[in-house]
Amino acid sequence: MVQKQRQDAAINALRMIPTKWAVIIVVAIIGYVLLQPQINKWFGLSLPSVASLVGDEKQTSQKKQEKFDSNEKTSTTKADSKASKAATEEKPDKDDSVNKAPTSQPRVSQPRDSQPRDSQPRDSQPRDSQPRVSQPTVGVERDSEKVHGFLTEIGRNRFESPAGLVYGPGSEEGHRLKHIERHLEDQPKRPGSHGVFEGDMHAFLVAIDDAYSRAKSGDKGTKKIQDEGSTIYEASFKKPIGFLGGQEGGRKRNPPLKQLRVVVRGNSLITAFPF
Amino acid sequence: MNSQDSKIIYVESCPICGDGLCRIRICISNQKVTGFILCDECEAMWTDPFMQERVPTNADETDPQCPSCRQSIWGKNMHWANIGEVCLLGWFDQVQMVDE
Repeated sequence: MVQKQRQDAAINALRMIPTKWAVIIVVAIIGYVLLQPQINKWFGLSLPSVASLVGDEKQTSQKKQEKFDSNEKTSTTKADSKASKAATEEKPDKDDSVNKAPTSQPRVSQPRDSQPRDSQPRDSQPRDSQPRVSQPTVGVERDSEKVHGFLTEIGRNRFESPAGLVYGPGSEEGHRLKHIERHLEDQPKRPGSHGVFEGDMHAFLVAIDDAYSRAKSGDKGTKKIQDEGSTIYEASFKKPIGFLGGQEGGRKRNPPLKQLRVVVRGNSLITAFPF
Repeated sequence: MNSQDSKIIYVESCPICGDGLCRIRICISNQKVTGFILCDECEAMWTDPFMQERVPTNADETDPQCPSCRQSIWGKNMHWANIGEVCLLGWFDQVQMVDE
């Protein structure tokens, strides 16, 4: 009975609001729902979500926690830890897992699209073979604050590594992270050589940072080459970090590779691959 | 997509980074078609397929600029050359082709 009276009162109150104002209020509510998460992200605010305002906060936070947990799980897989160890290779030889020789059946990627970036966005193409690598523009892993568990966002689509390497927009793929992602798989039809890193994106980023830091400091087993506007850093690892792919790699039966080449312009990464 | 589009047209493996392919990048701006050589890995550039003259780039450029229009080499008026464009540039004898 009381509930019905309340409903009637609410309906009467709504009838008193002019149509124009009702439309404005509805649009404002929709706008708030859509923009609230972005505003919080951009300005570091903590505006309450609509769900929390209507008392559904518990459910929402539970969902967030589940999403965070799943991200954590994907970034701490067995392969991840193996490759991370290989990446930070200056560790003692006691870890046999990083001594793993390249497999006889290296990972193979789909052929590259020759279309220009603007005519067919690569981001729309499914990459079923690499489920753990998120697209930086989508922001799947931003909940955990670090992209690929390693990079800090320093601007729109710009991410910085602990060593100061910046991964930003650029390259045929549209983003440097997407570009280096190509080196996580073999491209057997590609002419010449194609260095393939054995591990996931997190391990690759760790290895790049390690090679960059050591080569920049002029450590033993590293090289620094100055080229037209860019700098090429090379660093050796004690154990294989990947294998030689591409047509040349196939001809040579995919020999293991123990060096990493990192090309930068300023402090922006252009590309990196094992060689 | 025609059969030309599924081919990688390149001059040689990149002498700078060793992993990239030196491919022909086409710029179309102001109804003018220009070609230059671009490594698809390290973005080193040359003026022609004989690869004698480098196109200078600056360290502070996120994306190198096209030597013709001074726009990003990955801009909307740029694309990889097809066989027809390679022939128009007179560079057909200098390139190799492989199916993607």
